[in-house]
Amino acid sequence: MVETRSSKAKKESAESGKKPQDTDKEAPVPMDVEKTEEEKKADNVAAVLADIKQNINLLERAVATLEARFTTRALRTTASIRKRLTPEILTQAINIYFPKDHAAKDALLKRVGKASDEMDVDQGEQKSDAKDGRGFLPEHEVYLSYLVLLYLHDQKDYQQGMQLVIELVDKVQALNRRTLDQLAGRLYFYFARFYELADKLAEARPVLLAAQRTATLRHDDDTQATILNLLLRNYLMFNLYDQADKLVSKATFPENASNNQMARHMYYLGRIKAIQLDYTASHRHLLQAVRKAPQSVASAGFQQAVNKLAIIVQLLMGEIPDRAIFRQPMLRKSLVPYLQITQAVRIGDLAKFQETLAQHGATFRADKTFTLILRLRHNVIKTGVRMISLSYSRISLRDICLKLQLDSEEDAEYIVAKAIRDGVIDATIDHEKGFMKSKENVDIYSTNEPQNAFHQRISFCLNLHNESVKALRFPLDIHRKELANATALREEERKLAKEIVDGEIGDDEDMGEDW
Amino acid sequence: MFEMHTAFAVYEQLKKEFSSPKADLQKCGQYLANLKIYLTELSFLLPGDRAPDAQELLLAREVLEIGAQWSIRVGDIPSFERYISQLKTYYHDYSSNLPASARMYPLLGLNLLRLLAQNRISEFHTELELIETDQMGENVYIRHPIQIEQCLMEGSYNKVWHSRANVPAEEYAFFIDILMGTIRDEIASCSEKAYDSLPIADAATLLYFKSGDEVTAFASERGWKVNPQDKKIYFGVTDADHLDIPADKVISQTLEYARELERIV
Repeated sequence: MVETRSSKAKKESAESGKKPQDTDKEAPVPMDVEKTEEEKKADNVAAVLADIKQNINLLERAVATLEARFTTRALRTTASIRKRLTPEILTQAINIYFPKDHAAKDALLKRVGKASDEMDVDQGEQKSDAKDGRGFLPEHEVYLSYLVLLYLHDQKDYQQGMQLVIELVDKVQALNRRTLDQLAGRLYFYFARFYELADKLAEARPVLLAAQRTATLRHDDDTQATILNLLLRNYLMFNLYDQADKLVSKATFPENASNNQMARHMYYLGRIKAIQLDYTASHRHLLQAVRKAPQSVASAGFQQAVNKLAIIVQLLMGEIPDRAIFRQPMLRKSLVPYLQITQAVRIGDLAKFQETLAQHGATFRADKTFTLILRLRHNVIKTGVRMISLSYSRISLRDICLKLQLDSEEDAEYIVAKAIRDGVIDATIDHEKGFMKSKENVDIYSTNEPQNAFHQRISFCLNLHNESVKALRFPLDIHRKELANATALREEERKLAKEIVDGEIGDDEDMGEDW
Repeated sequence: MFEMHTAFAVYEQLKKEFSSPKADLQKCGQYLANLKIYLTELSFLLPGDRAPDAQELLLAREVLEIGAQWSIRVGDIPSFERYISQLKTYYHDYSSNLPASARMYPLLGLNLLRLLAQNRISEFHTELELIETDQMGENVYIRHPIQIEQCLMEGSYNKVWHSRANVPAEEYAFFIDILMGTIRDEIASCSEKAYDSLPIADAATLLYFKSGDEVTAFASERGWKVNPQDKKIYFGVTDADHLDIPADKVISQTLEYARELERIV
């Protein structure tokens, strides 16, 4: 963890080049030596306020055009605002945007923790900016409250945060506006987060379940996806795999949920399936989770968790994970115990497996992979059997027993028989003479296997194409312009046709006259 | 609180009857049925508005526990399953306001064993997740089914067979007996794949039968060919993997490609 933190800081400084806002506002500060601490602070305040203002405008546009895109953009920049929030900024922002006698204003200011007299001063200054309540949308109120919420969360003021988030969730539910959906999703996330921090996660369940129902009815994809994941997390926290599985089978995860939520969902599904021994499905889900997860340092924890689980599931399927996974700088350190387990399974060494298990037991328990790893024991044996079957065409059961350190020959016979049935090895046992005989390898190209693989790849490509076509975005109302053009053209054509007809008639008339 | 007193009185009777060495199981069943009716009038099924009283919960839990044990004694597995699923609420959700029950781990262990005996492995693991990890290694009642599961997964059926001798509680034997049937089926299906032929005498030891007659009966059940002359069982070598060209599949796939490509171009 420590390593990720420091690398995170490093990456951030590197990343700041990417974010023009950050550099613009921070770079000049060290150069201007004359600037005092006060001024720097003022600069920062102004910058953040400008960002907030931009987001407020974006929200306004989102409401005006009913385009969710603008809200998404506002929420995306919130992450950078969040790091720079201070009580002063929040107070000012609230004073600027809230109408003077808004019901929630004072309560919000109190939560920020500013003395009331200072507030009055600020108000006097900013009065000109304050709108008289007509331009003030519920979205703005929720957004500013959301900022306060983030601030409280970062300041670890969990009690205040919890009170605020409960109020906000009530408010959002009562308002019932589609343009609030994305914000609502975020609010529910922090709702669950505060409950988790207060160690009352079980109590949050009824509210979340009700909210999930409402979100589904309203086709509110963002909230639906967020809450579904929150509920799964909630269940898995208490190891309630049964309930989680039932929830997943009953509720559908919205298709167009954001990638981050999708990645989480895939991870939870992977977990559930792994517990239920459906390793193939589990691995598929986990693989998607790894691919969909953002590759930045901010998601290092998530990637570590997913990869840990993915490695174990892969081992349980009888595959050996790629060595490259363990070398990734972001994962290397946290995957060390898993590397050792993998090595033990790969060579089929039971003693080493037990040793690693004893050594890193606490880590595995913390990662909640302990029970899964316990299941690996028989995989170690299976790998051992497979190695033997590959290297010997005929070997006595007694030797197998010695090689695998099994207790008795009878055990070895049953184990080999089971391995044959499970398709781990292709062999037969001669009971009377007491040996195992491996069969010849079949040529895979004489089967339908290549055909199936081929089909799988083609359908993947075709699907990819179809999905990218679906994902294309067309600007709203552009077709109207085209339509107008088309009508104009048609009008012109008609005029032309009319003229021609007129002309013809005219010609006729002319001709008539001539006649 | 009238119901509470009546329920308590019946519970005392039930407890006395059930713990006596020559328990009248039928009578116990009757008591249980009556108790359940009393309990429904308390906050047993519907929690209602008021917070459930600890004493009531305790009574309900005790009754359900006896019910579960009674189901094992009369050999009624569906009834055991019902009692356990009701008990789980008391073990997990009310765990903070009730004293831990001494019968909790034996019953949970039994439930695990039941899932194994019924070959419901994925549910077994789901249940296992609900048990704290430190109990898995230490608690005899929990460790036993876990070890059996490991042996089953490995294929060390021999160990499972012998585990019968050291069960942690007498009720466990009931499920172990059922488990033996499951194991025999497992061994049989392994043998079908692993051997071409097997002498009847060896088959008897492998499948834990006492006599050759039992083996022949079992063999006919599974459709194995028994040759009485050389006293061997021949497993139908089903090497019918001559490959058909999957014409239908190929045609439909190709047509699909054509359609999709047309859409792209």
